[in-house]
Amino acid sequence: MKKKTTTLLLSIMLVLSLLLAACGSSENGGSASPGGSGSEAGANDSEAVELTMAFINLGTMSDVAAVQEEINKITKSKINATVKLMPIDIAAWNQQVNLLLAGNEPLDLLVTSSFFNYSSQVAKGQLLPLDELLEKYAPEIKNTMPSEIYNGTKIGGSIYGVSSIRDVGADYGMVMRKDLIDKHSIDLSGVKTFEDLGTVFQTIKDKEPGIAPLVQSTQTGTVAYQMYTPQIDPLGDSLGVILLDSNDLKVVNLLETDIFKNKVTLARKWYEAGYIMQDVATTQEQGSSLVKAGKALGYFNNMKPGFEAQESKTTGYEMTSVHLSEPVIQSNGASGFMMSVPRNSENPERAMQLLNLLYTDAEVMNLLANGIEGKHYVKNEDGTIKLPDGVKETTYQFNQWEVGNNFLTYVWEGTDKDIWKQTKKFNESAKVSPALGFSFDATPVKTEVAAATNVVNQYKVGLESGSLDPALIEEYNEKLKAAGLDKIIAEKQKQLDEWAAANGK
Amino acid sequence: MKTNHMNQYAVHAILILLTAACVFPFLLLITSSLTQEQAIVRDGYSLLPKAWSIEAYEYLWNKSTSLVKAYGITVTITIVGTTVGLLISALLAYPLSRGDMPLRGTLSFIVFFTLLFNGGLVPTYLVFTEVFDMKNTLLALIIPGLLTNGFFILLIRSFFSTSIPVPIIESAYIDGATEFKIFYQIVIPLSLPILATIGLMLTIGYWNDWFNGLIYVTEPELYSIQNLLNRMLSNIQFLQQTNIGGNNSTAAAGLPMNSVRMAMAVAGILPILCVYPFFQKYFVKGLTIGAVKG
Repeated sequence: MKKKTTTLLLSIMLVLSLLLAACGSSENGGSASPGGSGSEAGANDSEAVELTMAFINLGTMSDVAAVQEEINKITKSKINATVKLMPIDIAAWNQQVNLLLAGNEPLDLLVTSSFFNYSSQVAKGQLLPLDELLEKYAPEIKNTMPSEIYNGTKIGGSIYGVSSIRDVGADYGMVMRKDLIDKHSIDLSGVKTFEDLGTVFQTIKDKEPGIAPLVQSTQTGTVAYQMYTPQIDPLGDSLGVILLDSNDLKVVNLLETDIFKNKVTLARKWYEAGYIMQDVATTQEQGSSLVKAGKALGYFNNMKPGFEAQESKTTGYEMTSVHLSEPVIQSNGASGFMMSVPRNSENPERAMQLLNLLYTDAEVMNLLANGIEGKHYVKNEDGTIKLPDGVKETTYQFNQWEVGNNFLTYVWEGTDKDIWKQTKKFNESAKVSPALGFSFDATPVKTEVAAATNVVNQYKVGLESGSLDPALIEEYNEKLKAAGLDKIIAEKQKQLDEWAAANGK
Repeated sequence: MKTNHMNQYAVHAILILLTAACVFPFLLLITSSLTQEQAIVRDGYSLLPKAWSIEAYEYLWNKSTSLVKAYGITVTITIVGTTVGLLISALLAYPLSRGDMPLRGTLSFIVFFTLLFNGGLVPTYLVFTEVFDMKNTLLALIIPGLLTNGFFILLIRSFFSTSIPVPIIESAYIDGATEFKIFYQIVIPLSLPILATIGLMLTIGYWNDWFNGLIYVTEPELYSIQNLLNRMLSNIQFLQQTNIGGNNSTAAAGLPMNSVRMAMAVAGILPILCVYPFFQKYFVKGLTIGAVKG
């Protein structure tokens, strides 16, 4: 009994200290913001601070210290602050960010994303509302992006993250090897829908034994998925979606829609005709490596301007493409990748000034995105950049889509020079989901989502790649319902309605 | 007699199968690290690949600075961690094994208690990072491993109390030896098997540890070899399971190929393989003595 009491006391103390810590820093945040006036005032006369910025890393980052030093030279003179770059591998992201936010470590800017619990981070009070800070210290950010994207990250009426400027929408279609298309003089101009691709596949199947006409880009980017996604908004996890054509905010069960059934049936037809690689459901290889190995013609993918050039680089073959849907911006278009200020920050106003630089200062943004000129890249005469001579692999690889205003950065050789202009146009032309900005908080139905996800893992790839008989959709649906799909959909609808009311939709 | 023979054959057959099950993946690992990348994607993994290549090892060689650094980290934490861990465990286990130690039961219970309960990840993390400020230090890779070895302590304690006769200790005491002298001149030399066993377990534990690196380390400078490997593999897995827009393949282009992953795994195991044979004879003996009688 005595031991129990001690344990209880200890845990209460721990909880209390955590709460106190949380209150402490949010007080800091609150009292600090009214201090300065105007974006430049209060910056140069105050003492120098160090700002920590955490972001997702996927490649080699061994030169991050050198880049950081160069960035600091600029930020020191402009906002009297230095930056500490903290790349976190995507593999460790969820774990480390959870721990960082639970603790009190210095952290001033953090990449957040609806893929990585954005809404629950806000619900737990781990991120600061940014509206006032943005107004005071970074008024220019608003002008760098369309207002629906700027406001598309709001939760409960406040902005908690600033979207990075990138291709916020996507259109869907197929990339394929240009040499094979030319060799058999296949005319792609007649291909307007996914259904039209059948004849292309037939030709390749007849004339190129050993090459599968169609593979999947990844295990989640299944054949059918790439065909039905442009017509729906998956609202995060596809468990309960809205149909874009209906233009209202009614959450429906994807499996019961005609779109889903038709596309799965089509995938099955192709699979049975031998158009789709036969072990497509189990292969661990990405579509691009299968093309690279000479095993496939191409794959469906979500695309953006410059996508062919990008895939050509990855596969080693010149790639051509057919775009078979209009560009769409789904609910996570804005909240897909954002920069937020966590409650850990002791200098939220300075963090906001740094954020402002990422949207307005080409020098800072280029350093961050591309590294140091002469060391990580050199400029060509036409304004594009390339690796310096003799350098085969870069020692600074930043995934620039996650942060800042990418339209300020140099374009790599091999990519269209006015790629950013095209991307801007692409974004503007895109069909916008009525749920743009909605981010589902799965916490209230955690158990159901976990159970449903298991069912999805069991059936999704098999059915959507054509490897399984579409008759199984029934069974799939029943099991999802048994796992609590209806409850998830109801919760999603509830949150969506609340969101719509709060945002005046 | 005949049935005995039959038994023998059956046992041998089972053991041979088990051995094969252990050795086969390992051989496959080595041959795939020596296979040409395209051949892996085209024909799959195979023990006798159609096209050999050492390109994976060339790639690793070119990256050798980060690899050598990671090796350095791993070796350092393994040596320091094993030595200190062994010392702490033995020093705690010895008094617990002595019948005349006051509060012996309470202390043993405390050690035993840590086997069943721990503070949980977030509190542990907060203590190490905020109270002790160990984030991104070598200590963060060593200390957590030193504190969670209650099992080892109990193992050593059982060995001490069952294999070292009390009369030896008493006679040394009568001859005028101090407690400390008894410990390192009599008890330690008599306990080599268990110490070697625990030493090997600690070595393997530290060598294979990636979890501490995952949560306490963000600086690439401090990545150990297993941490490096684990991060690489989870990055790849993440990309396969998540759709992060049209950027998947740009991100994937930065990740190493199949054969390189295999070569990295080989690089990760090789040193421990070299050490293992020297420990093995103690390993079997120590484990059986410590466990069965304890």
